[in-house]
Amino acid sequence: MKREGRSALKRKILLVVPEKCTGCRICELVCSLTHGGVCNPAESRIGVVNWYREGISLPMVCQHCEKPPCTEVCPTNALKRNPETGAILIDPGLCMGCKMCLVVCPFGGLSLEDGEEIPVKCDLCSGEARCAGFCPTGAIQYVSATKTNMGKRRAAADRASELLRRSA
Amino acid sequence: MPFRYKSYAGRILHIDLSRGTKSVQELEEGFASKYLGGAGFCSKMLYDAIKPGIDPLSPDNTLMFATGPLTGTLFPQASRYIVAAKSPLTGIHGEAHAAGHWAPEVKFSGYDAIVFRGRSPKPVYLWINDGEAEIRDASQFWGKTIYDTDELIKEELGDREVKVACIGQAGENLVRFASIINECSRVAARSGMGTVMGSKNLKAIAVRGFKGLEIADPEHYLDFIREMHDKMLENPFTDSRVKYGTTNLVEMMHQIGRLPTYNMRQGVFEEFEKISGETLREKYFVRPRADFACLQRCGRFVRVPSGPYACTGKGPEFECLSALGSRCGNSNLESVIYAHHLCNLYGLDTISTGSTISWAMECCENGVISKEDTGGLDLSWGNHESIVKLIGMIAMREGFGNVLAEGSWRAAKAIGKGSEKYLICVKKQEIAGQEPRAQKSMGLASAVSARGADHLYAFPVLDEVGFGKEIEERLGKQYLPEIADRLNPKYKGVMVKKCEDFCRLIECVGVCLYGTEIPPVYYYGDIVRALELSTGMKLTERDLRMTGERVVNLNRAFNAREGITRRDDTLPSRLTDVPAPKGPSRGQVVELDRMLDEYYLQRGWDRETGLPTRGKLEELGLGDMADDLGGRVI
Repeated sequence: MKREGRSALKRKILLVVPEKCTGCRICELVCSLTHGGVCNPAESRIGVVNWYREGISLPMVCQHCEKPPCTEVCPTNALKRNPETGAILIDPGLCMGCKMCLVVCPFGGLSLEDGEEIPVKCDLCSGEARCAGFCPTGAIQYVSATKTNMGKRRAAADRASELLRRSA
Repeated sequence: MPFRYKSYAGRILHIDLSRGTKSVQELEEGFASKYLGGAGFCSKMLYDAIKPGIDPLSPDNTLMFATGPLTGTLFPQASRYIVAAKSPLTGIHGEAHAAGHWAPEVKFSGYDAIVFRGRSPKPVYLWINDGEAEIRDASQFWGKTIYDTDELIKEELGDREVKVACIGQAGENLVRFASIINECSRVAARSGMGTVMGSKNLKAIAVRGFKGLEIADPEHYLDFIREMHDKMLENPFTDSRVKYGTTNLVEMMHQIGRLPTYNMRQGVFEEFEKISGETLREKYFVRPRADFACLQRCGRFVRVPSGPYACTGKGPEFECLSALGSRCGNSNLESVIYAHHLCNLYGLDTISTGSTISWAMECCENGVISKEDTGGLDLSWGNHESIVKLIGMIAMREGFGNVLAEGSWRAAKAIGKGSEKYLICVKKQEIAGQEPRAQKSMGLASAVSARGADHLYAFPVLDEVGFGKEIEERLGKQYLPEIADRLNPKYKGVMVKKCEDFCRLIECVGVCLYGTEIPPVYYYGDIVRALELSTGMKLTERDLRMTGERVVNLNRAFNAREGITRRDDTLPSRLTDVPAPKGPSRGQVVELDRMLDEYYLQRGWDRETGLPTRGKLEELGLGDMADDLGGRVI
């Protein structure tokens, strides 16, 4: 797939590592404080889904998809990728408030705050991604796009090499 | 008009369960700055609301939940609420605390506190939907476990994000040490607050909120939080907390002879390794879990994969490992994990449950309780099958469980025959997992705490395993070296007084004692800054010290009004008269009287009677209380 904007090598992405998430929701308040000056998970652009009885958690946030349904559905072209950060951003001047983006996003990446017409979404804090910066466990990382899979590869390879060692 | 101080919700919800009515009270500025929140709000409002001498299980009791100004504001570990009422276990000031996600949700829904009066004619639960309170029928949930109640309420309300605090069967059946549990795992355990909820026919409080908490200085607050995070993550203790939670205290406390074993007959457990934090980690630990805004993630998610004790969920912490493990002579760790799981299903305080069972075990050993009394149950030390069976019997008040459901103190009264001799209680509540002959400060703390035997009211842990530098900084260089010596009673009155004031302040603002009292990371200065940046209140360190002291005096006044004096500030004679038989603290007793003298002096209370003094109450702005107490103030 052809990538828009800047070279993928330099672009950073928000990477979620669910097995490291402890469910503390620090990211939610860092987000709502950064963007709205309040502590309010309902206004956060990132939301941790907790399964308390199973003891698991998954932070959900805009994935800034390579082929975003939100930009495709937007009739006014208000949703566009920022070439610097790779973030999908809303241009409030162009947005007509139809909310189709909310409908088509499979991850709940966009939300509507109480009394507002224009949806809000993760903007990667203009390339700072504060949620990742505050995450105490590394469950949310803001890393170079090319590095993202190495952790998983290493973990999977560790398991595979265990088998190899045993069979050797 | 919005409340002047930010980060408060600014409102208190009042529910009259007898009438089925509700009202909203605007928070007053002077009240907020004087009592701050949490323990402060509860202590003051309950003193005013509860008449002395009432039956805690009658509609006359008031049950109150309060958050703190920092609850839900991103300050590390600020996830907490306090629930308070007159305790059905102790008959005096009762309170319990829990973390999780429920308390922040209460604030996001627009309330700092919720007050319940009266008794509903039928089982109900309270549903607070973004500020709109509704009393709903709960007859379909009555008789359900904590887990099922949580699940069914979410189903009924059609929202998975609803946060539920509820009671299980133990609370419904008025077991005197029933707990309140939120998110199926965070427990407000002690002094029977779940019992009071049950007596009011209140099954649960379900909350959902979408309102924000304003922050006075958001930009600087976030920088400040970063600084606080760094401070916590750099602390060497945090790694151990992440790795073990509190469970490795089993081995640490065994090493200093402070691990209650065989009904606190001794402080060492020969088989401690079988229930140690290390063993739990190796065999059953799945992953750490954190509460709202928490960096330390002491929660243990565990799994027993198979066998009679197969279960999955939040695992036991130190207190439970000692109460249902060493205290009962039980080294079968799978059974402890399962017993803890059952306590969380039924809604029981694990400390009182384990302690009451261990008391019964010692009575059996000494022939005071027979197999006939127990209905054939063999209560030999370490019989884990009996322990597990008894938990369900206590919660459902079946057979011998019905006797134990009253708590060990009342059970001993009913049985007689010298069974009182084996009670390990203060003011009718069972002592927690600190064998005080191995740590004198803990003995004094338990003897004087407002809610009966209690390790958390003062939580004097700094002399446990060496925080020399912090003891010097927090308690004063002039008291060294004696104050840092856990076996030396000298200056423990100073220590307990100072720790009580600080811990009460922490329970006012909605933060956890972990990270503040231990590891000693945040102190008064940090709370001053946190409150200024989040609420806009300009308070000094001296103000905060006085707030903590004010709460202690309020609780003392409440208890004095109920007839509590120095003679109730006592410990079981086993701990004061019988030398520790084994281990590193062998030969030690708790020198309680001399510590009490020093403590009352530090408190400015009357040494003879332990009653509060008019001078001290007036100094703390509680002069009206001195008038009200009449002969109960000196």
